[in-house]
Amino acid sequence: MAGKYILKLYITGQTANSQRALINLENVLNNELKGLYTLKVIDVLKDPQLAEEEKILATPTLAKVLPLPIRRIIGDLSDKEKVLLGLDLTVESQGESEG
Amino acid sequence: MIKKLGRVFSGIPGFDEISHGGVPKGRTTLISGASGSGKTVFSVQFLYEGIMNFGENGVFVTFEENPTDIIRNTKSFGWNIEKLVRENKWAFVDASPDDADSTVVGKYDLGGFLARIEYAVKKVRAKKVAIDSVSALFTHYQDPGIIRRELYRVASTLKKMNVTCIMTAERPTEEGQISRFGVEEFVSDNVILLHNRLNKRGGRGRTIEIIKFRGAGHDSEEAPLIVDKEGMSVYPRPKPKLRGKGFSQKISTGIKGLDELLFGGVYKNSSTLVTGTSGTGKTVTTLHFIMEGAERGEKSILIEFEESPGQLYSNAHSFGWDLEKHVERGIVQLVCHYPEDLRAEQYLDMIQDLVVRNKTKRLALDSLSALQRIYSEEKFREFAIGLNAFLKMQNVTSLLTNTTSQFLGITEITETHLSTATDNIIILKYVELGGEMRRLLSVLKQRGSMHKKELMEFEVTPKGVQILGPFEGVENLMSGSARRIEIRFDEEEAEREFIKESTRGRI
Repeated sequence: MAGKYILKLYITGQTANSQRALINLENVLNNELKGLYTLKVIDVLKDPQLAEEEKILATPTLAKVLPLPIRRIIGDLSDKEKVLLGLDLTVESQGESEG
Repeated sequence: MIKKLGRVFSGIPGFDEISHGGVPKGRTTLISGASGSGKTVFSVQFLYEGIMNFGENGVFVTFEENPTDIIRNTKSFGWNIEKLVRENKWAFVDASPDDADSTVVGKYDLGGFLARIEYAVKKVRAKKVAIDSVSALFTHYQDPGIIRRELYRVASTLKKMNVTCIMTAERPTEEGQISRFGVEEFVSDNVILLHNRLNKRGGRGRTIEIIKFRGAGHDSEEAPLIVDKEGMSVYPRPKPKLRGKGFSQKISTGIKGLDELLFGGVYKNSSTLVTGTSGTGKTVTTLHFIMEGAERGEKSILIEFEESPGQLYSNAHSFGWDLEKHVERGIVQLVCHYPEDLRAEQYLDMIQDLVVRNKTKRLALDSLSALQRIYSEEKFREFAIGLNAFLKMQNVTSLLTNTTSQFLGITEITETHLSTATDNIIILKYVELGGEMRRLLSVLKQRGSMHKKELMEFEVTPKGVQILGPFEGVENLMSGSARRIEIRFDEEEAEREFIKESTRGRI
């Protein structure tokens, strides 16, 4: 399980930003991290106490819980390169870590 | 009910006076000021007093200090916020900076923030929310357009929930724009400025200034603001122009001789404390006060913890007063309770309901001591202050009684803070003279007016209280307490001097 990514995506129900973030993220994950991640989607309208515990203000927010360091990416994740960068993940570095 | 007033008391001493009844209910009010002007203390106290005095729970949204710091920093004011959190009366939304590193990729909103506020409001059934300070959001997210839109969304959501909100904002400098990032644009209906400037004597002085309130009156001048060991207090400027209205009109206490001592009676809308040992004539004084109003057709409330309606009617009857008739006609609302019947908040609610519904002009409560016996000191103080603040706002003239022991009378008044909560204090006392017990009456203070300071002798006759005249040629009537009176007067004088000083320095 080494190198497995644990991700949480905080969204607000069916808003356009939230839905876009979900689609954009699934794209990135399926292309770059297939089989190497666990994603938990949290709707802050349904579970506001989880947003309180994690001190989430902006939505959507993607939180990378593992591997450390913890990173957060705010927004609808519309720029794939920046998302990868935000996850400390580039195509090259992923290759190295798997080797 | 209270709803139609459209205001919510802050409970911050003096603020409800300069704002003519508190901040607009169900709206957001912006509190803007440079750093060190007292924004956080104002916000915390706004919630704290609401919970303690009016049973209005609160949500505190903090952007700068974390909740632990706020709890610790406000302990010195004697506020136990930790306890209120435990009792589910106070909730924090912790938006203080954390270590998590974040970047922005694409479009976002503050849906998480809004969801957390709504959640906290529902959790403690909050009536008030304080957000301190929204400027942090602008520095954190660097997109003023989004933040303004989102704060507007917070304000309108709270409005729908009928929750009253204050938002603080950082002011770049003492002069110039109201707040950084134009926060006032979307809460522009209600704006308050806190100032902290150098004064002429080289020290710093805080003041508060209400810039605007939506469709509502307020004082427009700056008022001195003090933060001391009990928190924040505002000192409203004296209002000489309002002479002939409100606080400068005198009304009769119903006792002729007492009115003379008070130079024409008590001020309308003032509160009077009648304090004395058991059996000195407090209840008959109460009856004088109520009957005087009732005879003029003034709607009155008499809250009686010491006697039953029957006892009270026959008591009044023995002085030739038909109290029952006024009660039947609805001029006098008679409320007889055992003190234990209701909790302090319930008594406050009940009184507020009655006053608003009946447009009450006079209220008498006999006696505060009955409540003092069963409440903690803190609770009792809150009740007395809360009641007094409410009656002031509603322009009710009140008379409250207090039972003291023979020798500690005056010390007790000052200790329970009743002396600061009431405008006028009248002392009743038994004195032993020439082998007789005689009755003594004296006006200890009357706020904003001259009064005679003599120790008067009085009797309770079939016509009620009759003032006979001053005790002459006798010393030490007040025994060991005489020195105490002097101290009180000095404090009063000092307080007046202080306010005079602080207002003069500003003109």
